[in-house]
Order: sequence, then structure tokens, then C-alpha cells
Amino acid sequence: MANLKDTIRRTLEPLALVPIPDDPDASLFDLGVIDSFGLMDAVARLEEALGVKVPDSDLNPRRFETLAKIERYFASRIPSGG
Amino acid sequence: MTHLVGFGAALPETVVTNAALASEFQVPEEWILSVSGIRERRRAGEDETPATLAEAASRKALAAAVLLPSQLGAIIVGSGSSSRQFPGISADLQRRLEAPGIPAFDIPLASSGSLVALALAVDLAPRYGPVLVAGAEVMSRIIDRPPRTKESAILFGDGAGACIVSPGPGAIEVTDIRFACDGALGDDLSLEPGAPLVMNGRTVILQASRKLPAAVRDVLGRAGLHPADVDLFVFHQANLVLLRQVAKTLAVDESRLFVNVDRYGNTSAASLLIALSEAAEQGLVSAGKRVVLGAFGAGFSWGAALLTVRG
Repeated sequence: MANLKDTIRRTLEPLALVPIPDDPDASLFDLGVIDSFGLMDAVARLEEALGVKVPDSDLNPRRFETLAKIERYFASRIPSGG
Repeated sequence: MTHLVGFGAALPETVVTNAALASEFQVPEEWILSVSGIRERRRAGEDETPATLAEAASRKALAAAVLLPSQLGAIIVGSGSSSRQFPGISADLQRRLEAPGIPAFDIPLASSGSLVALALAVDLAPRYGPVLVAGAEVMSRIIDRPPRTKESAILFGDGAGACIVSPGPGAIEVTDIRFACDGALGDDLSLEPGAPLVMNGRTVILQASRKLPAAVRDVLGRAGLHPADVDLFVFHQANLVLLRQVAKTLAVDESRLFVNVDRYGNTSAASLLIALSEAAEQGLVSAGKRVVLGAFGAGFSWGAALLTVRG
């Protein structure tokens, strides 16, 4: 999942208000990396970068709170076996 | 086909500037502007209530429509800040207007209340006659409840807007209007009696940024239209950053957005009708124009309307 990890980090970097932490389990919200509006933008950019549509029912901020959670979520949404 | 035949707005005189809030919360003025697009908001005086503001806006709308209160067929008020649980603001407004004997009820949905009220008015007007729709909020009394937070204090303002939905002829046709609700995330924007406002900003913004453009596309699609066919978008004035994101999602230029959130802040359910009233006053809802209304708010609830202005 190295590519996915890199893509996520690269996509979030332009939106980060402070440096993105190395710890994949650190809260991007608590650290102030992404604010409410940044999250809206982040989801839109991640959808575009990864070619995955996040359904409305999955638009729960907790799914996108840490790098690890973001990676887990999109890994589960990207079709495997390609 | 129903028409919108008169608009009105009422804003308290007291202005709360970003400088005052920056001083209160020890934050930079620039931060307030950058996260909200708001420069100032209004605050109701001690004698002002959602009903007094609704009355002032309603009398202007009635005058513009050349209607007497006695000619109304129904009254609907959208608000999230009613000062009592029941009866609602509509009862007080009906008493003040001296328009007894007709349906009067509230839509207690912050932010989206007046859009939902408009949708119901469109259905009621052919059976009951002209419907007065008002959106009225005194959010300051809610956000003053401890703990008073900067996130709420910088965002919300007080005010009221009104319009008349007529079953008769008019220039501004309500071509279509639809709304929907999903209670699954209702707790993320809610208000218990006497308690502080609960607003999970991240959830609200994520959902609004998705649902609002979808509602606009839905109402346009039913008319065989696209966002590019619309001359003016009048949305609930939630926050400038969100409005810009919605414009981006719809691929329309920001110049087609009506914006007054910078001057009044987010006046919740009042904002749509205040904005529509000002847009009409500025001649932006004129012959040949297609205007789209949209709102997202408590419930969650959201919706959109297509107005067609005849020449």
C-alpha cells in the first residue's frame, strides 16, 4: 500500500495548515492539520486522486481523522485484483 | 403555478464587528474573515424576538405584494431559535398581524427552515390562498449560553426575511421546489431546550458540501436544465467558504452566487429569505432570469428551488 500511502500524503499536503505528522495514528484534527473546510476539500481531492467516490453515508469525519484511517478507508474502496 | 409576489427583510440595528469578537476571543480578525468570509453580523436588541423581526419583514413583504394580512391564506415560519417550545413563532406572528382563522405553524429547522416552509407553501397556496413565509432567528441568545464559543459567536447573526407565495399571477414563478431529510445525523446539528447549540462542523460541512449541489442538480435536471443555465444562485448564507465550494462543485462562476454573509453572518433559517429579498431589491431577480434557491440545515434537511422570472 506504499503507493496509496504516498498518494494520500501528497494529496493532503497542499491543504495542510501545519506539517502532516509522521505518526499515521495522530489526529489530523487535533493537530490542526486540517480544519472543517479543509476536510471537505480533502475528501474531494482524495476522491479525484484515487478515482473513488465516497458515498454520502460514508461522509463521517471520524473515517478521515488519521492517515491510517484514511488509508484503511480508501484501501477498502479501491477495487482489488487490478 | 405559484409565484413569489413580495419580499421583505428585517435586521437589528446593532452591528457586531470582527474586531469586537477578535478582542473577546483573543483571535486575529483575519482568522475570522478567512474561515467564514464574515465581516460583521447583527445582534437583536433586548426588545427584539424572532416574532418581532418576523413581523417587520412580513409587513414589508405584504406591502410589496399589495396584500393585507386579512387576505393571507396561511402563515409558515422557519426558525431554529424560537424563544419558547410551543406555540411557535407563527402564533405570535399571526397575533401581531391580526390574521386569525388561517393555518399558522412553524418549521423548526435551523438553516433550512425557510426553504422547507417555501416548499410547503407552494403546495398550500392553491388551496388556502396567499401564504406568508417567514424565516426569523435570534441566534445570539443561543450562542450566548455558556460555554460561549468563538466558533458559534463569529458565525451566527440575527435577522428575519419573508416572502409571499401566491396562487395567482406573478412574475416570479416557482417552477419547482423539493426538499429531503435524513435523521441519521440529526444529533450533529441540534438544540435541546436551554442547552448550548450542538454543531459538529466537520459533519455539517461534509454533508452540506455534497447534499446541496446534489439538490440543485436534481431540481434543475427535472426541468432539463444544468447549473450553467442558471443566472443567479441564492443559497442559505452558511459560510462563504462553503458557498464557494458549492459553486466549484457545480462548476459555476462565483459571480453567480448571491452573497451577503459578509454583512449579516449566518442568520440560519432567516438567511435564504433575507438574501432573496436583497437580491430582488437589487434587481437581480429580473425578467428572463433563472434563479436557484438552496439550503442545508438541521435534520439534516436540504433542498432547492427553481424560479423562472417571466418578462
